[in-house]
Amino acid sequence: MSKDDEYDYLFKVVLIGDSGVGKSNLLGRFTRNEFNLESKSTIGVEFATRSINVDGKVIKAQIWDTAGQERYRAITSAYYRGAVGALLVYDIAKQQTYENVNRWLKELRDHADTNIVIMLVGNKSDLKYARAVPTEEAKQFSTENGLSFIETSALDATNVELAFQKILTEIYRIVSNKALESENNERGAVPGAGQSITVAPTDTNAPKKAGGCC
Amino acid sequence: MAMLIDCLKVRIKPVSIPTPGSLSHANIGLGVGLLGGRYSLNPQTTTESEIKAAQAREELTRAAAAEEMNLMRKNTETGGTLARKNVATKAELMAEKSKNEEAAMMADIAKLNTMSIRFTKFKTLLDMPVIDLEQLRKLSWSGIPEEIRSTVWKLLMGYLPSSADRRDATLQRKRKEYEEYVAQSFGRGKATLDQALYHQIHIDVNRTHANIPLYQTPRIQEALERVLYCWAIRHPASGYVQGINDLVTPFFHVFLQSQTKGDVERADLSLVSPETLMEVEADSFWCLTKLLDGIQDNYTHLQPGITRQISRLKELINRIDARLYAHLQSQGVEFIQFAFRWMNCLLMRELSLRNTIRMWDSYQAEGTDGFSDFHLYVCAAFLVKWTEQLKKLEFQDMMMFLQSLPTQNWDDKDIELLLSEAYMWKSLFHNSPNHLSTQS
Ligand SMILES: Nc1nc2c(ncn2[C@@H]2O[C@H](COP(=O)(O)OP(=O)(O)OP(=O)(O)O)[C@@H](O)[C@H]2O)c(=O)[nH]1
Ligand SMILES: [Mg+2]
Repeated sequence: MSKDDEYDYLFKVVLIGDSGVGKSNLLGRFTRNEFNLESKSTIGVEFATRSINVDGKVIKAQIWDTAGQERYRAITSAYYRGAVGALLVYDIAKQQTYENVNRWLKELRDHADTNIVIMLVGNKSDLKYARAVPTEEAKQFSTENGLSFIETSALDATNVELAFQKILTEIYRIVSNKALESENNERGAVPGAGQSITVAPTDTNAPKKAGGCC
Repeated sequence: MAMLIDCLKVRIKPVSIPTPGSLSHANIGLGVGLLGGRYSLNPQTTTESEIKAAQAREELTRAAAAEEMNLMRKNTETGGTLARKNVATKAELMAEKSKNEEAAMMADIAKLNTMSIRFTKFKTLLDMPVIDLEQLRKLSWSGIPEEIRSTVWKLLMGYLPSSADRRDATLQRKRKEYEEYVAQSFGRGKATLDQALYHQIHIDVNRTHANIPLYQTPRIQEALERVLYCWAIRHPASGYVQGINDLVTPFFHVFLQSQTKGDVERADLSLVSPETLMEVEADSFWCLTKLLDGIQDNYTHLQPGITRQISRLKELINRIDARLYAHLQSQGVEFIQFAFRWMNCLLMRELSLRNTIRMWDSYQAEGTDGFSDFHLYVCAAFLVKWTEQLKKLEFQDMMMFLQSLPTQNWDDKDIELLLSEAYMWKSLFHNSPNHLSTQS
């Protein structure tokens, strides 16, 4: 209905990670360019979108921000299905949130599509003097585990745009390569001319307008 | 729509359904307004095609206003000596005023009279040696005056005993008990706390009502942290779940209000002694405990209570507004995507703290299942409020809209209308499993 629904690709991306690492503020920074001092904890999931340009194509990101607390895992993991990207966020000033990254990776292995693109995000890079997780360590961990890596600050906006740009581009490359490689109508691939990829939140709730894939 | 009409035919007799408290109070009476009188859905005189439930809902506002005026007028005529006296003296003054001004003034006076009559009624009840809780509930449904809300809430939550001679002793014992809990956990400093639990509570309290400066003061935040921590370690089946931090604040707010002059949000906290604050804290702890006892399975593993509530909401909406239901379905909007939070935080994320407090007057007046069953109907009434807007939206815009519904300017009137609508839906559908389960 609205003009911003004209896009070439629609990618579903999830934001995951421990409570309090700044997922909601990263989302707010990316979609509304704001840091909300009055933000509340996320209950269940929240949703936002934004479109960006990659190689002259309009990519619409449909981002699901999830609650960080363990108790909500059952509800939030339902949203991993159909996601083509995941931003796994930790807090560079809080060691425990970094140590929990492994548990989040396992969550993704258990509930998400196998070829989901994962980016490890060390947020709150503005807290220089409180840093608990060295950049090099996280970078190496990412390389070993085949993840992209970036440090961000939702507060001062450092790298937030870049983080989303990077992961969406990476997804786009994979999808467009796949489109060249095969005519197989496998999930998350092959947009026909003028069509777009829909990655539905669940099997039954593909947004109508975006239909076109699978 | 036809489905709704069917059930109206079965369920509704052209006699009014009494809303608790409606007989004595002007604000509520909507059930009566819709189902009796002008907007009668009397099956004998009304054919299906004549009624559209959607229209009826639009009429609700007007019906409520009209009904209110009627009740007010009635109150001035029959509302006891107090009313008559005031009206008589004022009537002389108004002799020269125009008809319109006269009517407006009459309404104002009637309202004041209603308020003072209600206040007197509360007072009379509260002064009894053994309080008639049934009566207190009836009276409270239409809203509790701020001056006595703290006491009434404690009574309705079953925290204060109804017999006056046991009250002081109970309070003392409970407050002491809570102080011991605090000493056990916090007595040896925060380092001895369960760090993961404390951290979660700490970051959540920091993000609680961040728009209200009162909740950003360290003293208040620490008090809330203690309440939540003490509750959590005593309820290992659920433990602390995000959102419970919201649920403690109405109690805390109301109890603190009773200890301060003027608006508690602007109160000078230095005038509140540590002992007093500790009492507020203890009372909040016990009332929160009572509240959560009633909705425990909202917060245990897999949160089955919430899942159940959401599927009931779904069925309910299908009955109440099949077209909205179909629209949500066709757009792929799932109820869990927006209503999970409605259940988990009892709509506190959708409404202001002020609105919530008014709402909880009625929730508590509803009795033991106010925060579960009645809340379900409030959620239904809340969703269909936005039908017109929602029907124009597609998936993404609808999700965004549902995440931040425009309730910023809601006042007591809006809440009372919502509650009345909820009451109506509950009267129609509750305890009638056929109506809730025949539809797939
Ligand atoms: N210094 C700093 N603080 C941040 C940053 N991002 C978020 N915060 C703060 O960290 C706290 C948590 O931020 P949220 O965005 O609510 O965290 P979340 O990951 O969404 O938490 P849950 O919803 O509970 O899972 C808030 O008090 C934010 O103000 C950042 O980049 N730098
Ligand atoms: Mg969040």
